[in-house]
Amino acid sequence: MRLIVCKWFVASSLLFSLATAQTRPQYGGTLRVATSAAFTSLDPADRTQVDSFARNSVTALIFDTLIRLDSSGRPQPSLAISWGGSRDSKRWNLRIRSGLVFHDGSAVTPEAVAASLRLVNQAWNVLAELDSVTIQSDSPVPTMPAMLALPGNAIVKRGSGQSVSGTGPFRVSDWQPGKMLTLAANEDCWRGRPYLDTIEVNLGMPARDEVAAIDTERSTLIQLPGEMAKRMSGHTAVSSPAIELVAIIFARDPQGQDEMTRRDALALSLDRASIHNVLLQGAGDAQSSILPDWMTGYGALFPSQADLPRAKRLMQQVASSPAWTLKYDPADTLLRLLAERIALNAKDAGLVITPVTVGPFDARLVRVVLPVADAWVDLAWISEIAGTPISPATEMSVEQLYAAEQRVLAAKRIIPLLHLPAVYAATKSLRGWSAGATGTWQIADAWQEPSVP
Amino acid sequence: MTEAIYNAPSLRIITFQGRQRLVTCLVSLLFFPGFLRADDLFNSEQELAHKIAAITGPGAVALTIENQSSLTPREVDSVSSGLRATLESLSVHIVAAERAAATVSVTLSENPQFYVWTAAIKVGTDTSATLTSTRRPERAGMKSDAFPMTLRKTPLWEQTDRILDVKVLQEKPAPFEIAVLDSEAVTFYMQHGSQWAMEQKLLIFHTRPWPRDLRGRLLVARDRTLDVYLPGVRCETKKQTLLTLDCRNSDDPWPIGDVSDATSPQSAFYTAKRNFFTGDVTPHIGKFATVPKFYSAVAMPRTGYVLWLFSGTDGLLHLVDGLSDQPRKQGWGSDIAVIRSACGSGWLLLATVDSATVSNFVRAYDLPDREPIAVSPPLEFEGAVTALWPASDGQSAMVVTLDRETGKYEAYRLQVVCSQ
Repeated sequence: MRLIVCKWFVASSLLFSLATAQTRPQYGGTLRVATSAAFTSLDPADRTQVDSFARNSVTALIFDTLIRLDSSGRPQPSLAISWGGSRDSKRWNLRIRSGLVFHDGSAVTPEAVAASLRLVNQAWNVLAELDSVTIQSDSPVPTMPAMLALPGNAIVKRGSGQSVSGTGPFRVSDWQPGKMLTLAANEDCWRGRPYLDTIEVNLGMPARDEVAAIDTERSTLIQLPGEMAKRMSGHTAVSSPAIELVAIIFARDPQGQDEMTRRDALALSLDRASIHNVLLQGAGDAQSSILPDWMTGYGALFPSQADLPRAKRLMQQVASSPAWTLKYDPADTLLRLLAERIALNAKDAGLVITPVTVGPFDARLVRVVLPVADAWVDLAWISEIAGTPISPATEMSVEQLYAAEQRVLAAKRIIPLLHLPAVYAATKSLRGWSAGATGTWQIADAWQEPSVP
Repeated sequence: MTEAIYNAPSLRIITFQGRQRLVTCLVSLLFFPGFLRADDLFNSEQELAHKIAAITGPGAVALTIENQSSLTPREVDSVSSGLRATLESLSVHIVAAERAAATVSVTLSENPQFYVWTAAIKVGTDTSATLTSTRRPERAGMKSDAFPMTLRKTPLWEQTDRILDVKVLQEKPAPFEIAVLDSEAVTFYMQHGSQWAMEQKLLIFHTRPWPRDLRGRLLVARDRTLDVYLPGVRCETKKQTLLTLDCRNSDDPWPIGDVSDATSPQSAFYTAKRNFFTGDVTPHIGKFATVPKFYSAVAMPRTGYVLWLFSGTDGLLHLVDGLSDQPRKQGWGSDIAVIRSACGSGWLLLATVDSATVSNFVRAYDLPDREPIAVSPPLEFEGAVTALWPASDGQSAMVVTLDRETGKYEAYRLQVVCSQ
């Protein structure tokens, strides 16, 4: 019998599971984080970097956005203390919190905020006013509050070269791109000084080495592949809601009816249950929807079971079946396994797929980190990556969201495979941390329990 | 341009007028008095039934309903029978699968903000889908509580902003007027019938950012004015024509111990940028001008002296009698308080108790000598205890917790019942 559970509560309870303690937070100490991510820029606006939980987490430590989303996806004040939109959602005004300073000591002015937003959103006309900024757009942007919560829209003061300055709880102390990042507590943080003195982020560490690092206490916090969470005895392992989409994204629109049919056949051939149970050992959710069910509630309308007979029937309708190449990141072990499994499933339906790591490709197997806990913004984000941008919704209902997702899928540029959570393990002395709804490690409020003599 | 913070997405909910709606709502409310969402659920029920009927047309269908949401079994039963009844009224007859022309699989689901009900419909080889949604209600107000235990908690107030302290200003005999301290204001509430109504809000002026783990105390002075202690800030109410709150940057020490006993006031300095006392005490405690840094302190009167207990930032409980500091590993949380009681030796120590679970507990201890003895079962709170202060009357304590589910802070009065 299937357990009746409040899915969101289960997800959200994880956010708080480690945030509770009777002992008051203690100040001081150094937190050592190890991650396989190896980003080479700290600028949130740098789209050349691969999105990852680690990069988004670091962004949230150094920078603030104007608006943040709470665990239910509701907009909350951050650097902006209030905001309002015009009836047509083409004009938004945001009042900026007073008395803010960047890490370099300069004031956070409306001009500085406007300059930061302009760089990232060139389609917007951003105007600085006395104590506020106004954003104007040619088309309606009803999701503006959630869009301003995107990591890429963090407020950044850019200096010479690659130097960046934020308002977040930690400032950059030392930065070796792709290797090591050292952050120091921002003593004058507008949200209060963080408890930790220092955070050291060791970048580009393979997962196996990460586990060894926490076992030998060289690291305090690590990110794990989901299937390894159950093996982390002696440490505290925490999962976020399933927030990372793994999907096949085709390089171009289908060329004719035959190719549309072949893409349908591929989607029907995918044995998600087997992938979920065997490859992922039960981690994540095997879903054929772009957005995870916990975020929308309508996941039941997207069947995830394979239908091989129907896939074969579809393949009988097409004249020919050219081989496809499926590109994946060779450094990603899970993607390699998934690509091989997809090729096997496709072969059963009569399709030929060759996994490749270099050269031209027909489709890519990718991980996409959903950037905010807002279904509309995430759908727009993914649809853009898939090459099928959606037009702004006039009515932000669940029904409209479902219709929009259906439209993106109907373009046949993307085949969702599954959703994965972010999984972290930490030593038991680390308190007050959590995995956020967007899979980031939230350590701005973390502290280390001293050993009692 | 609107000034509102954010206009939440609106929902298109089809409303149906007429006798059937009225009767169903009344029946729902009659049989399910706690079922406050009857009207919303009824609308969704109706909407989904009409959408299903528009796809299947009149005829025989097989219907399955699966609940994947937080609706209770009783609510699911109500939705299920309502859906069936509405479908029947639309000439969509529910039959066994083998006799059905169509199958309808309804899933009652949800997302963080909405209940989402979906229907996957199969007519012959054609499949289609439809759905409806309705906003999930905010969780109902605070539950009343009557623990038949040694420690009894009485809910006083809840809000989204962090509650730092609450003082009961009038009782008759239940709390009738309270003052709530949070990071931005002291707010006065008065009971009107069964509801609290805000009487006055006095804003707190401060120039520096607050520390993350913000703490504060609200004390009733002898002249009935209120003193507010916050990190680096001191405020006092002043009664002129209107009640006002005067705040200033200040490093004045905070009163500690049993502040209802004004004959032996003891104070300690609090850090402006942290969450603990520096350890500097005034006046001296015996030979000690400084004790280890601590989170909270209580005074246990003894014959001829006062035994002070400090919950140290080093994780130890320090017992200071004026001549010696005896640290001990107690395994308690950071917050302790003392209350007078007719039970035991007359003074009971309240402490937050470490637990392997995420729930938090407060427990009463007697301290006949230097060894605390538990005298009550642990009293569980649904959320983490964020504040524990003795009340002005010295006979109760104020506990503030953070409810994990709602994200709200809840303030309770804690009293000892001697019946056991």
